[in-house]
Amino acid sequence: MDRNIVIAGVGGQGIITTAKILAEAALIEGRNVLVAETHGLSQRGGSVVVHVRVGDVEAPLIPPGMGDLLIGLEAIEAARYASLLAPGASVVMNEDLQPPPLPRVKAPSLGDVLGSLKAAGLRVYSVNAVEEALKLGDARSANTLLLGYTAGLGLLEGVARPGGLEEAIARVIRRSRTAVEAYRRGLELASVH
Amino acid sequence: MPHREVLAEPGTRVVMLGNVAIARGALEAGVAYASGYPGTPSSEILEALSEASKKLGGPHVEWSINEKVALESAYGASLSGVPAMATMKHVGVNVAADPLFSLAYTGTPSAMVVVSADDPGMWSSQNEQDNRWYGVHAYIPVVEPSGVQSAREAVIEAFNISRRHGHPIILRTTTRTSHTRGIVEVGQINVEAVRGKGKFRRNIERYTLVPSHARRLRIELLDRWERIEEELSRSSLNSVEGDGELLILGVGLGYRYAREAARLLGVEARIAKLQTPVPLPRTFIHKALEGIDRVLVLEEGDPVVEQMLKAFLHDEGVRVEVHGREDGYIQRWGELGLDNVVEALSKLTGVEAGLPKPPRVEASLPPRPPALCPGCPYRGVYPGLRRAVRSSRVEVVYSGDIGCYSLGVLPPFRVQDTIVEMGGSIGLANGMARVAEGQVPIAVIGDSTFFHSGITGLINAVHNRNPMLVIILDNRTTAMTGHQPHPGVPVDARGGEAPQVDIEALVRAIGVEHVETVDAFTIRGVERAVRRAMDYVRREGKPAVLIARGSCILVALSQARRLGVGYPVYRVNPDKCMACTVCYTAFNCPAIFSLEDGKAKINPVLCTGCGVCVEVCPFNAFEPVEEPSEEWILLMRTATPG
Repeated sequence: MDRNIVIAGVGGQGIITTAKILAEAALIEGRNVLVAETHGLSQRGGSVVVHVRVGDVEAPLIPPGMGDLLIGLEAIEAARYASLLAPGASVVMNEDLQPPPLPRVKAPSLGDVLGSLKAAGLRVYSVNAVEEALKLGDARSANTLLLGYTAGLGLLEGVARPGGLEEAIARVIRRSRTAVEAYRRGLELASVH
Repeated sequence: MPHREVLAEPGTRVVMLGNVAIARGALEAGVAYASGYPGTPSSEILEALSEASKKLGGPHVEWSINEKVALESAYGASLSGVPAMATMKHVGVNVAADPLFSLAYTGTPSAMVVVSADDPGMWSSQNEQDNRWYGVHAYIPVVEPSGVQSAREAVIEAFNISRRHGHPIILRTTTRTSHTRGIVEVGQINVEAVRGKGKFRRNIERYTLVPSHARRLRIELLDRWERIEEELSRSSLNSVEGDGELLILGVGLGYRYAREAARLLGVEARIAKLQTPVPLPRTFIHKALEGIDRVLVLEEGDPVVEQMLKAFLHDEGVRVEVHGREDGYIQRWGELGLDNVVEALSKLTGVEAGLPKPPRVEASLPPRPPALCPGCPYRGVYPGLRRAVRSSRVEVVYSGDIGCYSLGVLPPFRVQDTIVEMGGSIGLANGMARVAEGQVPIAVIGDSTFFHSGITGLINAVHNRNPMLVIILDNRTTAMTGHQPHPGVPVDARGGEAPQVDIEALVRAIGVEHVETVDAFTIRGVERAVRRAMDYVRREGKPAVLIARGSCILVALSQARRLGVGYPVYRVNPDKCMACTVCYTAFNCPAIFSLEDGKAKINPVLCTGCGVCVEVCPFNAFEPVEEPSEEWILLMRTATPG
């Protein structure tokens, strides 16, 4: 089965790293994978989206309406790319909303965004990954925590197994102790969900 | 970025970026010399080769001062008998076009591949030019891999064709090949060749393009072009599969879209994979067209193959419908996508697309353009510049340039009135200085861009006495493309020590009299220095240079982590904050947010400890959670990559 995963957030949140981990995990699982990334200028604090496609796929980009899952590291960006999703698809979101640094621009609240995603018929799960990662000592591990949370919800079936994801984290992140801990914490939090 | 996977064991399957796959292919082909200038989406190719070079002792890898020098350097290496490669983004090829055309005339005794990384969709570029036209224009064959999946083989084949014909090849990649990660099975690196040296063998009749030689070489070039075209018709890079009355001609990445769209729609069609678009391999095309009455051409960029195909059909007297970008089946601008390809195929075949309707999210989402990072040294420079200009009561034109500082175009800064191309800030200012009445041009240019092509414009300004203020924003790296070194920093492409060219001494040496270096992290310091420089420009009618120096905060942070130096985080004292909004409007730091009551709050995860907010706040409301160490204060001002 093909799986189309959208990862969205703000440049600098470790979005590409998250996608790299998923790709490694898919390779470990023996699946084909493509990851289309955003680099360069738009990486500087801008809106970043990465397309991860697993299975019998050839083209790098997920067409609108065909995404199975969206992993959002930031709320506004998660909502922005929800248009890539299929009806009723799942959204796993970090409870973090960063107003764009534009003077006099009104940002919606986190509650607004979550509400609008649910109202659009999407299955929405959320966790405060930054807060949880800070408890482990490094806010930068919010991304692997969110990955753990996603895996714990059973949403990465057909892409990777939990053990494969752990190995992938160790392959992709150089000093990966906190990142792996965060991943495990994410799994745990999902089981409580 | 190290890109260690470039050295994966032969026979293994690894996840790698398209650009890393290109680097790997070049290593397997035995490239012994590689040069380039950073530019999205090309930069990782040379980065990966540098990584390989550190471990293998070859190839020789250099970041060049600009694309022209990069291409010339690789050209020289190739004339000296080793396989060579030059890498650049699409617009970089414009800078390198002069030697590129000559390269086709002289040919090369070894192999030479010029990588052009095009950016359809303009994700990180000023235009959407399709550099396959350079192939047509300069008589240089173009190889265009069909995605990350085939980038490695395509590069190897490009070197092979080049070697066989003694002729250069353009490897055209696009954003979605360069910046897509996929699984690549790698082969054996030709270690002996990558460490190889050659010899320049004199051949004056070939390598000196004086008219009498060039006329003869022009004829030879045309002959070679014919021979290469014939060979390309038999190339393993091109193939045909499936059958039907419709031919989908998938050029480069277009092939992948062709296959997946046909499968999604369940359409029976013949699909041709064309990875050598220029010159159009006529025999191959002829065969692919047998029994076909309609063709859909899928290509990234301009209708290059589509137009050549139409001309070919006209010559052959064959009547076949051709659809693509020219008749709007695929829009003329932007990237290919499964959505627009499915739509075109659906329109052509009458098969309903039936793609699911995406959910409608009813939320008003503010845009999020990229922004200067929290702690970016330029964030302090722009308010200082604006204040100085306001108080000087002089009308100015901000002649901007290409780099992170281009983001000064956005509110609240708005200090880039023009951004056109690398080095254009000073270039344009030369003309403005002479005819824009009552206006003083202020050219704003980064350190790497200044070396790339700003210096020539400045020499021109000195010699022609064109009054302008040039602000060189020196963050000690080529930041936007991923922190590559440049001639102004003491590090080379492989991270080794290198002599650094002193910008201030250089600028003085060419005759600029008013030169001042200022700490970028002090707004008032910048303001005063701008005022002094503007006074000089108006009084003397000559150019002045202000160097605003402060390290890219991302480099400073990564060095701090490596060296175990802590950096402070700042916070707002809510008793002192008067909700004046300056810090999150006029200063606009992304780490500073407004609370419900308008007071400021710092997001400690985003704060990078630059401390400039302390100077911004009229009420002294910002304070460090702990005092910054001297090591950190120094790192912010001196850190360089490597």
